[in-house]
Amino acid sequence: MNTAPHPGDHIVKSYDEELKRLTGEIQRMGEIALTQLNAAIDAVLERDSDAALKVVQSDAAIDTLEHEVSHDVVRLLALRQPMARDLREILAALRIAADIERIGDYAANVAKRSIVLNQSAPVQLSYALPRLARLAENLVREVLAAYRDNDADRALEAWTHDEELDEQYTGLFRELLTYMMEDPRNITECTHLLFMAKNIERIGDHATNIAENVYFLVHGSHIGQSRRKGDATSAILPIDDPR
Amino acid sequence: MTDAHFSVSSTGASAAAVAVHPAARPKMSARNLDFFYNGFHALKGVDFDIAEKRVTALIGPSGCGKSTLLRIFNRIYSIYPKLEAKGEVLLDGENILDPKYPLNRLRAKVGMVFQKPVPFPMSIYDNIAYAIRHYEKLPRSELDARVELALTQGALWGEVKDKLKQSALGLSGGQQQRLCIARAIALRPEVILLDEPTSALDPIATGKIEQLISELKDHYTIAIVTHNMQQAARCSDYTAFMYLGELVEFGATEMLFTKPSKKQTEDYITGRFG
Repeated sequence: MNTAPHPGDHIVKSYDEELKRLTGEIQRMGEIALTQLNAAIDAVLERDSDAALKVVQSDAAIDTLEHEVSHDVVRLLALRQPMARDLREILAALRIAADIERIGDYAANVAKRSIVLNQSAPVQLSYALPRLARLAENLVREVLAAYRDNDADRALEAWTHDEELDEQYTGLFRELLTYMMEDPRNITECTHLLFMAKNIERIGDHATNIAENVYFLVHGSHIGQSRRKGDATSAILPIDDPR
Repeated sequence: MTDAHFSVSSTGASAAAVAVHPAARPKMSARNLDFFYNGFHALKGVDFDIAEKRVTALIGPSGCGKSTLLRIFNRIYSIYPKLEAKGEVLLDGENILDPKYPLNRLRAKVGMVFQKPVPFPMSIYDNIAYAIRHYEKLPRSELDARVELALTQGALWGEVKDKLKQSALGLSGGQQQRLCIARAIALRPEVILLDEPTSALDPIATGKIEQLISELKDHYTIAIVTHNMQQAARCSDYTAFMYLGELVEFGATEMLFTKPSKKQTEDYITGRFG
């Protein structure tokens, strides 16, 4: 069984309603985070500082929802004493909410840096950045859909795709390093772009966390394999060193 | 957050479960046990072990057979006519359902405490001494020591040591239940069966009994029937879920309440049973 029925059919109906409210809050958080991410990427590509500022300001909505989720989780734990599947549902909600909140933060960070970036002359934006961003966005969309449908297979599938994102990030890292070496006047802009890329790469990591939690929620066990890491930037030397 | 956050382990949970529940030898075992109340098939082919010096909880909806199963373990049913058990119940490898198994010996080895505390209408001291006198002839000083030990193990001594001659009926419900547990312990049984021992008690008295259970399991094998799933989760090492006379699932309590393997168990413990 890779999907499980949505929580329902409790003898006490108000319990069902409270669980539904909790999962609804997570889905709402996810939708806002996705919109934020999408808007942040558009703001970068279109050099639109107003749109970027809007993204930064809208982050508070996700934070507010996360507080609501925390509050509801504490209440459910204290008042319902959940067991088995219900307990996993509630624990997963708490963890997934924290991951979505971080995704929102990273989207806001990307937007914030784009405002700074817009104050300099346009840099040669590589194709890799939008590609990286769209990959991250798809990953987040997939894991949120897996959560909505209690679909562990879909979560597992998305989980394996983070490697691709990591590889893209490594490629972008090399590319930006090359620009900086070519002309040191590019360093400020490229550093901002590098941080933005790192933020997007971290979004992918949080999406895999969500996938892991969806899997745990459905199966009651953890994904039983170590994910291959595609991020090799920690091993990259500053120049093609012949050593 | 570091990359270590992503390293997931599939063995972590089961390793922890093993650490909490090191292998224990079965003290009592039901083997292919059937039970009939005047023709009604109340237990159906139950196979089940009670681990030595562990707490085993039996849960399930009313009428599922859990109390019946408990009552077979000290053959209390045999006082009623038209009740019949088939199969085997082993205590240290001996079949206690065998009519040749002496009932006195069984009752001395397997004590029982019921839902409602039933102190005898006599003094606190005599409640404990009565059962001891039935089995052993002891000098007064030794009997005193046995009564004190039983009341101490029953976590009641401090509260009653100055009023041992007073009637047990004057004790509170929680104290009466601990007196009943002390009375069962006084015979130095090997197994203690508790049939919903706290369902008539307030949360403080319940807490005291649960603490007592955790202390007693160092010395005794305990089986408890309870309707309170949180209580089963708190007190027991192993839990059995029964439904309609069948043992649906049996396993380490931690597993049964976090990741039951049967849907029926999951539905019951999460309050979805229709």
